Amino acid sequence: MSGHAHYREAHPLVFVITHWINLICMIMLAFSGFYIHFPFFDGFMGVARGMHFVAMFVIIINLTFRIVAAFFVKTATQLGSREVDTDIKNWLPQEENKHQFFETVKYYLFFRKEGVISAKYGSLQKIAYLATIPLTYIMAYTGFCLYGPTADWGFFAGGTAMVGGPMSMRIIHYFMMWVFIVFTMIHAYLANIYNLNPSKIIFAWKETDH
Amino acid sequence: MAQEAHGAFYDLLAVRGVSRRDFLKYCSYVAATLGLAETAAPQIAAALEKGTKLKPALWLNGGSCTGCTESMAQVDSPDVATIVLELLSLNYFETIMAAAGEQAEKNIEDTIADGGYLLIYEGAVMMGEDGNTLLVNGEKGTDILQHAAEGADAILAVGACAVDGGWVYAHPNPAGAVGVQSFLDGVKVKTPVVNLPCCPTSPEWVVAMVVQWLLVADDDPALFLEKTALLAKEYHDNYRDADVSLLYPEYIVGSTIHDNCPRRGHFENGEFVTEFGSEEEAKGYCLYKVGCKGPQTYTQCPVTRWNRSVSWCVNSGAPCIGCGGLNWVDNNAPFFKRLSSMQMGGSLGNVQPGSVAAVVGGVAAAALVAHGLGMKAAGRIGDGPPMEEMKAYDRKHGAKKGGDK
Ligand code: HEM
Ligand code: SF4
Ligand code: SF4
Repeated sequence: MSGHAHYREAHPLVFVITHWINLICMIMLAFSGFYIHFPFFDGFMGVARGMHFVAMFVIIINLTFRIVAAFFVKTATQLGSREVDTDIKNWLPQEENKHQFFETVKYYLFFRKEGVISAKYGSLQKIAYLATIPLTYIMAYTGFCLYGPTADWGFFAGGTAMVGGPMSMRIIHYFMMWVFIVFTMIHAYLANIYNLNPSKIIFAWKETDH
Repeated sequence: MAQEAHGAFYDLLAVRGVSRRDFLKYCSYVAATLGLAETAAPQIAAALEKGTKLKPALWLNGGSCTGCTESMAQVDSPDVATIVLELLSLNYFETIMAAAGEQAEKNIEDTIADGGYLLIYEGAVMMGEDGNTLLVNGEKGTDILQHAAEGADAILAVGACAVDGGWVYAHPNPAGAVGVQSFLDGVKVKTPVVNLPCCPTSPEWVVAMVVQWLLVADDDPALFLEKTALLAKEYHDNYRDADVSLLYPEYIVGSTIHDNCPRRGHFENGEFVTEFGSEEEAKGYCLYKVGCKGPQTYTQCPVTRWNRSVSWCVNSGAPCIGCGGLNWVDNNAPFFKRLSSMQMGGSLGNVQPGSVAAVVGGVAAAALVAHGLGMKAAGRIGDGPPMEEMKAYDRKHGAKKGGDK
């Protein structure tokens, strides 16, 4: 499945940059989040909260930009190909992904030997990459329910009342961090399981053949 | 019984050893509790001096520990608060009234028959076992409340239990405890209810409401609701399975404890108490790590403080346990942990969110390692597996070549 090239067409520079911003924000948010959850060393709370409050806006703007850009930027339609089309088409499920969901699951559970025909990404990856959109927005929603300046806006206060108060909202926000952590673990694992070439292109924008 | 002249009022103060200065100080304190400017203090003083006719009131107890009554009585010497409360003619007050037996019960009936009274309700409304979890003189507590509420000008629900059932409402709530507003919603009684939070409630807030009612609003229920800045908070009553909207004086629940906390500087500087009895505790550091619920609790405790403004929980070195919030025990226990535990039931019992998260994270990490070893064993690492020629679906549906790609 990975005996193919990684060209810049798959990840144009703008998306290499948004991916970097996303990663840095995630690290900042998770680190400061852990600290806010339980300060494990002294003298950092002001900075941790400041960090969280900056990164949370950046990550949301970045995600929104990434979605809008998907309608304008062209990316490779297939793994290891230079043929391009509007990114959103390659982000959403493609023709090749049809009927392949259970086959992909079988493949990863070792119930079949051959790799599964897929397009730019396999069915599972597509689901995961698309799910990060609502997940990040929900994360932001739960965050703004806790954020002093916005917590009493009807839109957020209503949600807080629905889940049973600010304490429940904190716990949901905290658990969602773990959803992101588990996602990131699986994402990094699957992307790099065959070799590290995917990391070279997405981080260093370095092409690899074969 | 109206107190006619200024002189009489100051005599009354003097008898109790309260100076004019103490009196004015207390008035500005009440003004602050009502969210009024310091300049409102003389107005309050003038109104109090003028005196007013006694307002009939009933103080009913539901499922309560009488802690709020205790809190009201927590006065080291007779003071202004007591005098203000004496503006109420408390015709029934279980814990401290002189009357007993049939005479006492008759006082309730008489007051209701005369009308124009204020109802103060302490404790949870006990709806369990069809209202039989609380009987007074053979009568259901729920019936007494409903009857008294119907004729009242307004109701003060004092203390967390009266607000939403308080700790009596905590899981599993076998007594069927609910708050006054929730209960009245159920029996369709529309009398306005103003909620005063905390366990127990602050006597100063009760005093402020009495001042607001009798002096600012001139004993007019409509004017009272209009002139008091009120804030509605919604919650879901799990026992009645109903959405309830609670009215609070805005100034009392408008900001978090954390926002007004004198230890906030230590919080921002990341200076925390990790252990009781430590050097950090002696230095008065922030109590966040030992479970302070101040950041999630919306009450004015740091401003009003307790026991005639002597001190309050965090000031005395105890983390806020969040008693001013809704469903406060379930939402805040264990009190010395940062987040509340989740009630999983069964043999799991109550579990801290952090433990759940660690298990989930650990299982995911272990699963990935195991999977990675599997991928290696299957020889997929490196160039990946051989690819299929055609999708399984297409093969099954008889395509010869290509299929639907
Ligand atoms: C996307 C927009 C986000 C917003 C608006 C947001 C907002 C907030 C706010 C306002 C707080 C409370 C801070 C305080 O009261 O001092 C908080 C806490 C926290 N945040 Fe976020 N956050 C966001 C994303 C994230 C992400 C992506 C993570 C982790 C991956 C994260 C992890 C946490 C954690 C663990 C806490 C502490 C919860 C607790 O135990 O009290 N947040 N966040
Ligand atoms: S003691 Fe509690 S309320 Fe005060 S600053 Fe610390 S966390 Fe906030
Ligand atoms: S500081 Fe917290 S625990 Fe203390 S009375 Fe106020 S809300 Fe209750």
